[in-house]
Amino acid sequence: MLKLTEIDTFYGDLQALWGISLEVREGEMVSLIGPNGAGKTTTLQSITGLLRPAKGSITFDGHDLLKVPPDKIVDLGVSMVMEGGRVFAGMTVLENLELGAYGSRARKERFETMEHVFKTFPRLKERLNQRAGTLSGGERQMLAIGRAMMSKPKLLMLDEPSFGLAPILVDAIFEMVKGINKQGVTILLVEQNVRAALELADRAYVIENGRIVGEGSGEALLSYESVRSAYLG
Amino acid sequence: MKKNLSFVIALVVTATLAAVPLFVKKDSLLTYLCMILLYVSLASSWNILGGYTGQVNLGHSAFFGLGAIATRLLWFAGWNILLAMLVGGLLAIAFALLIGSPAFKLRGAYFTIGTLALGQILYATVGNLFPQISSMPVQDLISYTLVTRYYLFLAVALITVLAATLVANSRWGLGMMAVREQEDAAESLGVNAFQHKLLALVLSAFLAGLAGGAFAFFQIGYYPQYPFSPIWTLDSTMMAYIGGTGTILGPIIGAIFFVVLKEVLSLNLAEFHPTVFGILFILVVLFLPGGFMGLWKRIKDKQQKKRESMAELSHP
Amino acid sequence: MLQPLAQNIIYGILIGALYGLAAVGLSLVFGVSKFLNVSHGELLMLGGYASFWVFKLLKIDPFLSIPLTIIFLLLIGFIFYRLIFSRLIKLEVEKKIQNSLLVGFGLSTILQNVALRLWTADDRSITTAYSGLSFELAGLRLPAVRLISLAISVVALISLQIFLKKTFTGKAIRATVEDWQSASLMGINIHRVYLLAFVIGCALAGVAGTLVSICYSIDPSMGLNWTLKSMVVMVLGGLGSMIGTFVGGIILGVTESATAFFIGGNYRLIAGLLLFLIILIFRPQGLFGTKEGDR
Repeated sequence: MLKLTEIDTFYGDLQALWGISLEVREGEMVSLIGPNGAGKTTTLQSITGLLRPAKGSITFDGHDLLKVPPDKIVDLGVSMVMEGGRVFAGMTVLENLELGAYGSRARKERFETMEHVFKTFPRLKERLNQRAGTLSGGERQMLAIGRAMMSKPKLLMLDEPSFGLAPILVDAIFEMVKGINKQGVTILLVEQNVRAALELADRAYVIENGRIVGEGSGEALLSYESVRSAYLG
Repeated sequence: MKKNLSFVIALVVTATLAAVPLFVKKDSLLTYLCMILLYVSLASSWNILGGYTGQVNLGHSAFFGLGAIATRLLWFAGWNILLAMLVGGLLAIAFALLIGSPAFKLRGAYFTIGTLALGQILYATVGNLFPQISSMPVQDLISYTLVTRYYLFLAVALITVLAATLVANSRWGLGMMAVREQEDAAESLGVNAFQHKLLALVLSAFLAGLAGGAFAFFQIGYYPQYPFSPIWTLDSTMMAYIGGTGTILGPIIGAIFFVVLKEVLSLNLAEFHPTVFGILFILVVLFLPGGFMGLWKRIKDKQQKKRESMAELSHP
Repeated sequence: MLQPLAQNIIYGILIGALYGLAAVGLSLVFGVSKFLNVSHGELLMLGGYASFWVFKLLKIDPFLSIPLTIIFLLLIGFIFYRLIFSRLIKLEVEKKIQNSLLVGFGLSTILQNVALRLWTADDRSITTAYSGLSFELAGLRLPAVRLISLAISVVALISLQIFLKKTFTGKAIRATVEDWQSASLMGINIHRVYLLAFVIGCALAGVAGTLVSICYSIDPSMGLNWTLKSMVVMVLGGLGSMIGTFVGGIILGVTESATAFFIGGNYRLIAGLLLFLIILIFRPQGLFGTKEGDR
């Protein structure tokens, strides 16, 4: 479904990604793990168009993503949850969710979709008219994910959804993500929380210093010695 | 080698300019030259703070006005004109020191807007306090010679350009440019940003004040408010940008260009020169950062690159 | 003693409403795209002249011709945006603000010069049959045209609020202000949002200009002062708060009136500018930034 081939991305003159290739097949949950600064977020930004790769190709469902501006990828069915539980703080939960369905494709069905989102995240329904900035960290993350779901994505990308959350919330969030995957949404998960990322994923890629250094099934990588020592301590 | 050449050229130009009144007798032409020299002073003094130090000051006319008003008052009171001008310059310095500390609390565009407001405050205040036109007393009118005015403008322009050159090539100049590029980085390298900005401000103020004094000596009748008008700031700023900020020649080229353009336009599109200039300014800001000097540099760099690649081809 | 002061305050409030209206236009543009359009005052001036000439040549009542002014300014705003400001989008914040300032400066020079050549330096003002009408309330004089202008300003701002709060496009604008990256990932075309905010800002300036030409007077050089006033009010009111900006306008208007009353009419402008400088200097750096800081 999503295929990156030999992606080189630069920040100005600084090269951040070197020949990144990865693939996410329909229905899969794929994790991208690696240390801080390895290039995980850069990879996601290259996919969404917020950064343009200098070399390589990215295709999604047959479309050449390099030709698609960031505000058009949601129409293709790609949705992203940025790191840090970013929501529109000055706007209400309801408004955030509504905006998630901004694209015309999703806008007509937004009320049904919202009911669906409430099933996964009942807390959001309770806080519907509250300003998003007043939500707790966990609730903001839920809102961010719920908002991304409002566009009825085929591919959902998440950038460190567990970041800064208490452990109990982390489990809950990952359960929800798994649940979304079971509903048929393909997932690309970028995570620093390696154990969870590998336990949930069908497959995973390991990225270090802007290069893919490993690939395999979640279980296989979990048992792999260097991964254990490097990331699981 | 290059420095000596520049020095010689500067000497030749100066000598030529000094000799001009011997050949040029027409008053109108001499007046144009006076205007060019005045604008060279204004644009170059602005450039010290705006171009080299990167602090865009849109209240520059305040210094020009302060210099003018002090000079005018003292000169009419019987003082020697040169002394009066010096006091004018000092008044400008005093004002610069007064506003420097609070003004530089503001960074970037906020400093610019602040200076804009400040310039307007002075303009309006002077207009309120001195609403009547300032006319030259009869004895000064009788002894008025354009040539003396020309030499005064020339002197001020030379002092300004010289000061700008000396500062730009000094350690202070380096510090100023560092502040312009990345103020925080410069600070961490030990450059006291505030001191550098203040120095640039004070120098800029003094030189503009001198120019104001020369103007007070030159202009026969005007409203005291006039030198404080934002139009002087606008013109100086635009000249510096079009010629090329952060260079010595830039403001000079801009000033010449401006006055010449004004003349050319006055034949057909009389009184539309602000429009033409405004358009050019916008074009420079959008497409040609570095103005004419920047363009010139780019052309030279391209030629240099061409020469290098040709040399490589013949010596593989 | 009290009565003339109260009268002055009333006048201050009435003009303050126009300050607020003008400032909201500037604030909207700055808040959304971080463009500091220093030619805002000239756009206001153009709105005033548009109404003036429509009134003079077509005999249409100035209040009724406001929709025409709006259309005119929307068009002009579109042209200026496309030609000039849109080229600044890619710059990072500091450069964007500075360059938009410079470019706005150039634009204001052009517009001032053109207006001067086309329409002379004379003050213009629209005088209708009801221009002299005024109401009396508790011994205070309330000129009819200024009351109507106050009402129109309030209506305009309420309409804008409704637009921003209730429509999808309005929400898209607010979302862009908060987080343009997330907004674009949601399908919001940032460029179109910038354009929309810009032309709306211009239209608001135009409406303010119309009201000024009816209640007071216009001339080609009025732009700079109105731009500065708009900036003062924008700073006073705080970015993002329309009510705050409107109240800020009233504060400025009253400050000016009080100054005129106690010191002298010539010092109105100076009082406002001093207020501006004091606020600029003593409020913390994040003054023009959103709560999350400049992005």
